[in-house]
Amino acid sequence: MTAVAAVTVATVATATAPAVKAPMGELRLEIGVRNGRSLATGQYHRGALRVIRPHYLDDSGQVCYVTVNPGGAYLGGDLYTMDITVAEGARLLLTTQSATKIYKTPNSYAEQRLTVKLAANSSLEYMPGQLIAYRGAAYRQSALIEMDASASLIMAEVLTPGWSPDGQPFRYEQLRLRNEIRYGGELLAIDNVLLTPTSAGTADVAGQPVADIAGLAFMEGFSHLGSLLVVDSRVDAALVTELQQLLLKYELDTLTGISLLNGPGFVVRALASSTTVLTAMMDELTGLLRERWFGQAPLNLRKY
Amino acid sequence: MGSQEVPPVPPSYLLPLLQLCDSALPNGAFSHSFGLETYLARGVVHDEEGFTAWLRQFIGQQLVYSDGLALRLVFEALDSPALGDCALAEVWELDRRVTAQALPLQLRGAGIKMGLRMVEIGAGIFTAPELDEYSAQISAGRCAGHTAVAFALTAHGLRIPLAQLLPAYFFSTAISLTQNAVRAIPLGQTAGQRVLRLMHDDVAAAATAVMALDAGDLGAVAPGLEIAQMRHEYQRARMFMS
Repeated sequence: MTAVAAVTVATVATATAPAVKAPMGELRLEIGVRNGRSLATGQYHRGALRVIRPHYLDDSGQVCYVTVNPGGAYLGGDLYTMDITVAEGARLLLTTQSATKIYKTPNSYAEQRLTVKLAANSSLEYMPGQLIAYRGAAYRQSALIEMDASASLIMAEVLTPGWSPDGQPFRYEQLRLRNEIRYGGELLAIDNVLLTPTSAGTADVAGQPVADIAGLAFMEGFSHLGSLLVVDSRVDAALVTELQQLLLKYELDTLTGISLLNGPGFVVRALASSTTVLTAMMDELTGLLRERWFGQAPLNLRKY
Repeated sequence: MGSQEVPPVPPSYLLPLLQLCDSALPNGAFSHSFGLETYLARGVVHDEEGFTAWLRQFIGQQLVYSDGLALRLVFEALDSPALGDCALAEVWELDRRVTAQALPLQLRGAGIKMGLRMVEIGAGIFTAPELDEYSAQISAGRCAGHTAVAFALTAHGLRIPLAQLLPAYFFSTAISLTQNAVRAIPLGQTAGQRVLRLMHDDVAAAATAVMALDAGDLGAVAPGLEIAQMRHEYQRARMFMS
């Protein structure tokens, strides 16, 4: 059974050729500061990706941009690229108008590539809506973030079990999400998530397949996966311990881990049975950081 | 006729491979459960069957996407037609990547702690110029010192083929973990051997799977395993360092 599982991995990888054509949607955003408020100093979008008019959620000067996918979903072979630059001292909150939906991708996976450059004393809060992969969907998402040692990064992600007409979870083909963070010119973290439901497990003692993404080592009986990555010179072991204590109140509903990265940053990985509980948890953690570091109120972007 | 036959000679790498992958190698593997202890504390793994299921996932996930792929990439860098210094620069970069992909603090610490021991053992017993250079990079703070990189440099110096190294490395890790499980669950010694016998196919499949991965797959370990490795940090009673 194990040999079969290994072969399945290879088949998925090769059956979905990379998207080489021109991007389906492109977005470039350069954020600077004018009169104490952050705003776009350069903006370009093409195809099925654009941003709606910026707004300010408070008087901190942090600008909020919301990306919109007019097509409503990613399809096979679609490539979306986003290049975000935040200039010295500028602060950006980037989110999406709705959930990211990946429809069935019969010939080639859908892909989103994000590159981010954060200059000195700049910050990015990247809080996209949940990711929903439909039956037969294959999707790759990569983020390459280069940040100055004085910049601040908060990014969250929620993966749902997807959607299928028969109501069964995990009917997507493959989800591949990779974040690479360079901090002050050095590689700080590679955060790699790969979920391939058809080859998630091997066989049990009796030789029966336990290929179950919902089970041991993968989703541990839960359906939703949340990740939070924070890199900021103010992160230390004491902060991680404080946040770990805060997470105890979610112990009944989630299985959560938090750990200090190889530098001033931390990662949270959480398994739960709904988007709601993961969003509440992330909001509470980021709320504490927003208050302490920037004197801002917690975010309240969406109610599920 | 018989007296003219060449007596069978084992490949020159066989005994070095056996020595490197023997569970008596003092690399500190005995001190680490790599997240298993968290599953024991939660009661998810408490018997032979549960440990078998866990070890299968550990081999197919952790060992394939982290150590196994790192071993392969170091071998490919060393065997590339690039000039010596460029090949080694690629290896030092792999040291940084394999360290950065280990998000749980204790897992990263385990890789480095065992790596530094492996550099000492390798450089002292199986001398290879690349290991000395790795040691210099570590002393200068340019590399962290990861067990998979140190192991690959040692094995490459001994001309151990990757196709033999991968299953041997995987199986020796499975043996260490099984011996830890025998002590911690606890299991009988015979039960431990039964589990290990069942791992033969998993180890072979894992070695095959490593060869099909992309370099970008490094660190794509299953989320439940990562969470267990993180939660081990704040578990109350611990026998193991990870």
